[in-house]
Amino acid sequence: MARTILGISALYHDSSATLVVDGNVVAAACEERFSRLKHDSSLPVRAAQWCLEQGGITIDDVDHLAYYEKPLKKFERLMIMQLLHFPKSFKAFQRASMLWLTDKLWVRNNLVRELGIHPSKILWSEHHLSHAASTFYASPFEEAAVLTVDGVGEWATTALWRGTPDGLEKLHEIHFPHSIGLVYSAFTAFLGFRVNNGEYKVMGMAAYGEPRFEEEVRRVLILNDDGSFSVDKKYIKYHYSATESYTKDFEELFGEPRFPGSHFDPTSGEGKRLADVAASIQKVTEDCLVGLANRLYEETGLENLCMAGGVALNSVANLEVLTRTPFKRLHVHPAAGDAGGSLGAALWAHNEVLDGARGEPVNHAGLGKSWTHEQIGEMLKDLKIAHEDIGDDLCQQAASDIADGKVIGWFQGGFEWGPRALGFRSILANPRDVEMQDRVNEKVKFRERFRPFAPSVMAGAESRYFEIPEGAEQPIRWMLMVVPVKEDQRPLMPAITHIDGTARIHVVEKSANPAYHSLLEALGEKTGHPIVLNTSFNLKGEPIVSSPVHALATFMRCGLDVLYMGSYRIDKSQMRGLDRVGETTE
Amino acid sequence: MGLMARDWPLWFVSSFVWRLPGKPSLKLAGFSHTEQGSGLDMLAATEETDRREMRARYFRHALDELKHAVMFKNRAAALAPKTKNRTTAVLNDAEFIASHGINQAQSLFKQLGELEFLAFVWVAEKRAVEQFDVYTDILKKDTETVDLFNKIFGDEMFHVSYSRAELDRYAEQGQAQEVKQAIFRVKRRRVLEIWLRFSRVLGDFMSTLWLSLIYILILGPSSVMAKLTEKQKVGFIAPEPVHGTVMERAALQG
Repeated sequence: MARTILGISALYHDSSATLVVDGNVVAAACEERFSRLKHDSSLPVRAAQWCLEQGGITIDDVDHLAYYEKPLKKFERLMIMQLLHFPKSFKAFQRASMLWLTDKLWVRNNLVRELGIHPSKILWSEHHLSHAASTFYASPFEEAAVLTVDGVGEWATTALWRGTPDGLEKLHEIHFPHSIGLVYSAFTAFLGFRVNNGEYKVMGMAAYGEPRFEEEVRRVLILNDDGSFSVDKKYIKYHYSATESYTKDFEELFGEPRFPGSHFDPTSGEGKRLADVAASIQKVTEDCLVGLANRLYEETGLENLCMAGGVALNSVANLEVLTRTPFKRLHVHPAAGDAGGSLGAALWAHNEVLDGARGEPVNHAGLGKSWTHEQIGEMLKDLKIAHEDIGDDLCQQAASDIADGKVIGWFQGGFEWGPRALGFRSILANPRDVEMQDRVNEKVKFRERFRPFAPSVMAGAESRYFEIPEGAEQPIRWMLMVVPVKEDQRPLMPAITHIDGTARIHVVEKSANPAYHSLLEALGEKTGHPIVLNTSFNLKGEPIVSSPVHALATFMRCGLDVLYMGSYRIDKSQMRGLDRVGETTE
Repeated sequence: MGLMARDWPLWFVSSFVWRLPGKPSLKLAGFSHTEQGSGLDMLAATEETDRREMRARYFRHALDELKHAVMFKNRAAALAPKTKNRTTAVLNDAEFIASHGINQAQSLFKQLGELEFLAFVWVAEKRAVEQFDVYTDILKKDTETVDLFNKIFGDEMFHVSYSRAELDRYAEQGQAQEVKQAIFRVKRRRVLEIWLRFSRVLGDFMSTLWLSLIYILILGPSSVMAKLTEKQKVGFIAPEPVHGTVMERAALQG
């Protein structure tokens, strides 16, 4: 009889649910795609219900519910920190106590009440164990060294593991408040972005600067010879403050913080300073991860490395880890942040608690909810939106539109698992158009001009455009590595080449996403280049679209030209009256 | 906007509140949040209604609300005072208005059902029209904000009229009593929500008071001991020894 486990991660950020049957992932989704609340941290009731529907079961058929961390250990850490930092922790104590006493301490009861699971079926993993399991058990490796790095779980902020057929063995960990993730977030706040949301903007900003503040950053984040690190508490506040993450001493090192929402001009003196700060924290983060990975290699001698935790989403650092350590192959989980905790908890329960046989590696990211051809057609008809069913011409027509300079919305199959748009809910455009980056940033996504776009390229053609290191096959499938664009291709691909000549590449294999692969193939036939600019199908500050209605609402509020949903083509130039109502948004 | 009787109590309160420093931008940012939330509720209604003929109406309504959210956000940002903290707060609010989702496990439409949802829309939109009438009067000198309210006013009137027409249709089909009851329940819930908001403020105040006492009287003395016995854990730490079977450990929350 099949063994069914529902994994849940919740109550910090990016809550999610995953259904694992006999070690194989059947469904996985973040709650934000249902609630439309970006980084939604609430108990993922809707995501869980959808996972059960997808598996064709009810909660009574679930053998175990695996929760991604141990809440009481986390509470213990919080209370100890409040005690150690009395009286500075006054506000943080009040805030944390309100949250914990009213909600977070009662996870077990809430799981029972909201999901209907029997309490005896609940298993409690640990935060970093869930991260480790999410990347190791979903990878194609039998054996691997595993590195998990994020803000903080219960106490650990970083953990080093050995993964073998016998399971995951923890080798070392580093405890709060010594945290790369939280120091990176402190810089995110300093640079005027929202913590737990804008970290990737810091990565994008870093390319405009030079790491001239490296020495200063190393005073905050101290890298030790044994590969470990520590944080000088003089510069940080996040261990006793709920709203601020750095101190006046920090500001003395790096100058005035950037005003949130203010224009960033990398050519101005002020813009250059901010970019240099971003480049410096990026550089030290890379060195820190390389140090940890080298230590892990020394101890395990294994050639494969798996990474997870929010810091593993730093796709620039991932290249450094692969190229500056002896590891031969790297795997990063596509939902490397806390969302991946639900998958990790479920895989841990299956493989380690219940000693089940290992399932298949996760091969594609379209693990979320999908809509049928009939459902999409019915909705378009009911909304009185002009459309045509182009059937088998889908990829040819979409390729023609892209080649003609149109920006298209691409809605196919189930929505993505993890934060990246991987050709299931994407906005696509011609990467060879010199004005396309500004156009998509300003008219379609309404976001900052400095932010780069990623390319999707058909598998087999990637080495024509990019310098890809050996062993990067896994992260480039999930858009989790930034690599150099070949010198001769940079002028030809201006819309996806970042200021420093790199791109966050996504290689599309037919088995992972057949429709998207066919589109790239068609584009290759038409233009000679099977490559496209790919960005997530959402507007600034909103989650990626999930349903046809949300796709249409987004399409009509921005400068997209054409929308492809299943085999339906909706051309904005053909729309009249009511169905153009949203266009005046900006 | 002079067709309905003016809400003078609101006029009196608002004419004071809107003059407070920084308040207009905070109020507009608040409206932006509300409109964004309403837009998402209407999109959910578009998806969930069994009456397929209503989908286009709900969808248009949703797009209106999402458009208004952006308009309010932009005006809020333009009016934000230049003192650092408040501006930051407003900008954060304004920039992340989209961080406003369906907070409960079920959408409003699913919770209320079609008839009561329409009653809710009618009551809420009618109230918005009454409020806009007051705000345009007290903000006469701020022509840009008045223009903004006037632009949105037309859409709101459409929302009032279509939701009323639908309620009338239900009434004509023999459900007049149900319509009345639905409107009553919606109005009762709005009063209850005001009470709940007040209770929450009171509850927060009391909790803050108690937690402050606990912090000072219990954590204060305990912190001395904690600081004395603190073990600095820096660098790599060996994993703690494990006890019991993996299943026994998995059964523990701490």
